[in-house]
Amino acid sequence: MIGRVLVANRGEIAVRVARACRELGIEVVAVYSTSDRNSAVVDLADEAVHIGPAAARRSYLNVANIVEAALRTGADAIHPGYGFLSEDPDFAEICASEGLTFIGPPPAVMQQMGNKATARRLMAEAGLPLLPGVVEPVGSVDEARGVAARIGYPLIIKAAAGGGGRGMTVVREAEDLADAFTATRATARAVFRDPAVYLERHLTGARHVEVQILCDTHGNGVSLGERDCSLQRRHQKLLEEGPAGHLTPEQRAELGRLAVHGALSVGYTGAGTMEFLVDGSGSAYFMEMNARIQVEHPVTELLTGVDLVREQILVSAGRRLQLRQSDIVPRGAAIECRINAEDPARGFAPAPGRLDVLQVPDGPWTRFDTGYRQGDTVSPDYDSLLGKLVVWAPDREQAIRRMDRALAELRVEGPGVHTTIALHRALLRDPDVTADRHDVQFLDRQLPEVLARAAAIADAPTPGLPASRGSLSLVQPPVADAQPDPATPPEGTTPCPTRPSLSATS
Amino acid sequence: MTVSASEFPPRTIAATPATGPDDEAPDLHDEVLALARSLPGELRRLTVRSGDRAIEVEWAAEARPAGSPVPPPPAQGTPDGRDIQPATPADPAVEVAATVRSPLVGTFYAAPSPGADPFVRVGDEVEPGQTVGIVEAMKLMNPIVADEAGVVAEVLVGDAESVEYDQVIMRLRPPGRSR
Repeated sequence: MIGRVLVANRGEIAVRVARACRELGIEVVAVYSTSDRNSAVVDLADEAVHIGPAAARRSYLNVANIVEAALRTGADAIHPGYGFLSEDPDFAEICASEGLTFIGPPPAVMQQMGNKATARRLMAEAGLPLLPGVVEPVGSVDEARGVAARIGYPLIIKAAAGGGGRGMTVVREAEDLADAFTATRATARAVFRDPAVYLERHLTGARHVEVQILCDTHGNGVSLGERDCSLQRRHQKLLEEGPAGHLTPEQRAELGRLAVHGALSVGYTGAGTMEFLVDGSGSAYFMEMNARIQVEHPVTELLTGVDLVREQILVSAGRRLQLRQSDIVPRGAAIECRINAEDPARGFAPAPGRLDVLQVPDGPWTRFDTGYRQGDTVSPDYDSLLGKLVVWAPDREQAIRRMDRALAELRVEGPGVHTTIALHRALLRDPDVTADRHDVQFLDRQLPEVLARAAAIADAPTPGLPASRGSLSLVQPPVADAQPDPATPPEGTTPCPTRPSLSATS
Repeated sequence: MTVSASEFPPRTIAATPATGPDDEAPDLHDEVLALARSLPGELRRLTVRSGDRAIEVEWAAEARPAGSPVPPPPAQGTPDGRDIQPATPADPAVEVAATVRSPLVGTFYAAPSPGADPFVRVGDEVEPGQTVGIVEAMKLMNPIVADEAGVVAEVLVGDAESVEYDQVIMRLRPPGRSR
């Protein structure tokens, strides 16, 4: 059993894990770099260990210091969060050899899934649908030409060891193949220290749909529904939602079944995500697996009522899953907006700094996960995620309205600090987004337009939007199955316009 | 340039099948030494694992690349982690000389082996580069050296006690001056 967990991460996910531990009655050991010495998780933890200077390479990526901190403080498990060491099989192996439970999948499985080409091969063997392409790295331009002739254009070259949206090149015509192939290999070697690349057909107009799964160490697994993460900028997710309303219930159930089957076939344990691309007809193709808890996991938590981090800890302690597939009934709609300390107007350049004002939204079904408090400083040494705003509502329409209300309440101010708040409000006003017909390339294509709208919102900071003009009932179809909740005030008072006026602002 | 790591033969830390043929060992040893000598900057540690052929190099703090990709925010007081003093620095009027801090998380040992005399005692004079203790981490013994000359004024960590990064292990007062 696990009695004391060291959280090998920082920011909002460290706080998230610490809270789950607290609720489980598990003691928490935080680790922190010099620049995080006064962070929220340090205050939350039972004990905290200084593991290095600001540079992640010498603190949050410093395996020896983290493992020593765990041993010295009597922790019996390490939760890696996401990023940093979360998908490092060596780290997981070292934890095991030091007698520490690594809260994640077995190192060998992590290694296999970490290589996208290997993951592709294993999932093909498990019977999952894949886009036309190869399951082994492609070694030469000539070989690439042969593959390209077979699978056709456009195609995408991907680094086998890639991740985080880097090391991918779309090739639209044969004449561009050789240069793209060489360049992607060079990038892969430089960024991931592994030049191996593979090729697959590139799907245009597709949606990014991912399935949350949870597997125990006794061979049981469940899917917890899916999330649509099609709103991305250069493969970086910005807004995630669930369920994937553009799929039929049958398609969603089948995707969940495939995801669990694929994960169990490789002996996966813990929480994980199977990512798929879905084309216009609803056909899904396996892309890759993320062998960790993900940033956007709260979307699933709000839809299912399942505390994923808690379950993750329990299964890693060897407990049998208490959930059966039939217990998991996603309800309503949830949206997450990533609030980043970035300036969208300047190419999303990091815009960190001291948070003189941090006023967090509140209210019904409104959750804000953050590792920062007013007065803290967003450090330039780490990723720019300032917090995650997540809302739930009985349907997508209401969820959009609730999110807009919450975004309007959120105030982040400080010297040099910029955020993606206005950008999200602009996205929620886009007719393609409100109609749920955007694809993965939408934001890259429409960015100038969305930015212009975001700038207008930022320049005229109305506390709310014009009151809806009486057409509320037209866009509020009666939700027959919504749970009656007399405690909730009527939605009509929310300052978000109805869909017609949303379109009018574009 | 010092190759302090070579003093302490790195042991595999993970449960990796490290038992290679004996004739391979000297080659590896030479290669590691050559690598250590060829690397620029002052090394703090060089770890070699044969399991999945990982080589980890840790530089001494001075060798940190000066230019960070993002300019430090104006609000941040001390961008360089190494020289950070506690929020309440010692009384500036008293010219307390250097402190010796732990560069890593581990167990502090005051003596080279159990029962042996400690490296230094209060009142001893130390020279720059002199070993004043050991911090063991992941079964590796890391020598702790004084950066500056001074007289040991206080040892704040007991033998075999845990230390964290940047923890003050001992204070030195200026050399040749008794107070």
